[in-house]
Amino acid sequence: MNWAKKQQRLGYLFILPNMVGVILFFVIPALFSLGIMFTNYKYTSPDIAWIGLENFDRLFHDPVFYVSLKKTALFLASVPVSIGLAFLVALVLNRSVYVKSLLRAMFFMPYITSGVAVSFVWMLLFQPSQGPINGFLRSIGIEHPPGWMSTTTSSMYAIDIIWIWFLLGYNMIIYLAAIQEIPQEQLEAAKIDGASTWTTVWKIIFPLVSPSTFLLMITGLITSMKTFGMIEAVTQGGPGGSTTILSLFIYHNAFRYYEMGYASAISWVLFAIIFLITMIQWVGQKRWVHY
Amino acid sequence: MEIKPTKIGSTVVMLILGLFMIMPFLWMISTSFKSPSEVFQYPIQWIPSKVTWEHHLKVWTGKDSFLIYYMNSLKIAVICTIGATFLSALAAYGFSRVEFKGRNALFMFYLSMMMVPPQVLFVPKFILFDKVGIYNTHWALILPGLFTIFGVFLMRQFFMAIPHEITESAFVDGAGHFRIFFRLMLPLAKPALATLAIIDFSWHWNDYENALVFLLDRDLYTVPLGMQNFILEFNIDYNGMMAATSAGIVPMLLVFLIGQKYIIQGITGSAVKG
Repeated sequence: MNWAKKQQRLGYLFILPNMVGVILFFVIPALFSLGIMFTNYKYTSPDIAWIGLENFDRLFHDPVFYVSLKKTALFLASVPVSIGLAFLVALVLNRSVYVKSLLRAMFFMPYITSGVAVSFVWMLLFQPSQGPINGFLRSIGIEHPPGWMSTTTSSMYAIDIIWIWFLLGYNMIIYLAAIQEIPQEQLEAAKIDGASTWTTVWKIIFPLVSPSTFLLMITGLITSMKTFGMIEAVTQGGPGGSTTILSLFIYHNAFRYYEMGYASAISWVLFAIIFLITMIQWVGQKRWVHY
Repeated sequence: MEIKPTKIGSTVVMLILGLFMIMPFLWMISTSFKSPSEVFQYPIQWIPSKVTWEHHLKVWTGKDSFLIYYMNSLKIAVICTIGATFLSALAAYGFSRVEFKGRNALFMFYLSMMMVPPQVLFVPKFILFDKVGIYNTHWALILPGLFTIFGVFLMRQFFMAIPHEITESAFVDGAGHFRIFFRLMLPLAKPALATLAIIDFSWHWNDYENALVFLLDRDLYTVPLGMQNFILEFNIDYNGMMAATSAGIVPMLLVFLIGQKYIIQGITGSAVKG
């Protein structure tokens, strides 16, 4: 056996153990799912029939689907907010603070904790009549603070606040690393030219960290599209479906109503949306990302 | 060290913001030691007038004790972490050090799989696991947990940063790939392995979705399910709720405080230098 052939075989040998798992637990289920989405498969009924595109027809006539799309958009709005806040925090932390590593840890802490647990803590903090957050709002003169998770109009904003808080530390860490890689000469040159802090931040630092912004937007939106556990645990999508984002809508169809075929069809719609958003960002990056 | 007023100013502002970030944790811990009448007292009573351990005792010794959930979570998280870290390193070595046909195409395929939402996989996995007989067993979490695409990606990033000269000179000296991997690369990649292990452990410890879909029996529950179970059952017992969430969160907070350096390095290393 010649050298190149042996290399070839060895390469596959290293990858094989992991690839077996990826095939078993990613590729095969994905293909299987592509099959069930054309059936009326219901876990509770033994009859399975090929129904073609009927699941999609049903989906596009399902009013809950459109509500969940709207809720998903409202949920995704938290991503750029969290990224923007993270940029400001990273700027200050990078410039001049004492106890930098302590501060970094404080901001990062939410990110490594269980989303389910922190949702429960926030649920109590948001408690409308007696909770500390509304207690604070009343103390500063707001007589009718929001009902947070208890009303259909405010529940998604409450979830947004938790999500902004949750993602902030991760976004900040990425920005901190990116800001530290900016060549010091560029900033000094700007200073000599008399650029104000404002100009330096928006005309120099922000464009230079744009690859990080791009990465955070892509990964943040993808992660958010997939998330549902922290919402399911505390609101189960309610009140009145007001926090049923698309990923939760899929979960309910699959494991509450056992509509496996229908759920599979929606899950591929979710994939299509993720793919589309990623592609749009990929194409759009040329306009604002500077490598 | 020279003391600058602006530096003090921004430190104070950041400390206030930082306190806001960890406020939910502080409130959670404080509430878990309070009496029921003090839970919603405003202004917030940060130090309870009388510290009580009753709620924590209830969480740990009740009908479904957190002890069981802890053992289940530990078992799953430890096995998955060790397996996934090793298998990721192995594959990453193949992707970064061995030249073979189709390597880049295969790696691109791996990366594209990261875009597939877990919702696509939940239904088929549920049906398959049910047919094979591992639904409602820990195997349903352990077996898929042994494989992570992100782990391969992360380890490959680290291996790429190790100079090729090091492995090539070992190759010239007659060492084979397996020898180079075990004797050279793994020891060099210790910090990277620690990073991946900590990140992976935190995923499995915090994983709620998989446990929710694949576990049914209470004695199989992991910590996040146990926590939810406790809260649904005693939803008026706010002190107990906070004792239960403390039980779920505090171990991860400790892991983070100890391994902070590795976690932050791993996350920035995999994202920024990509």
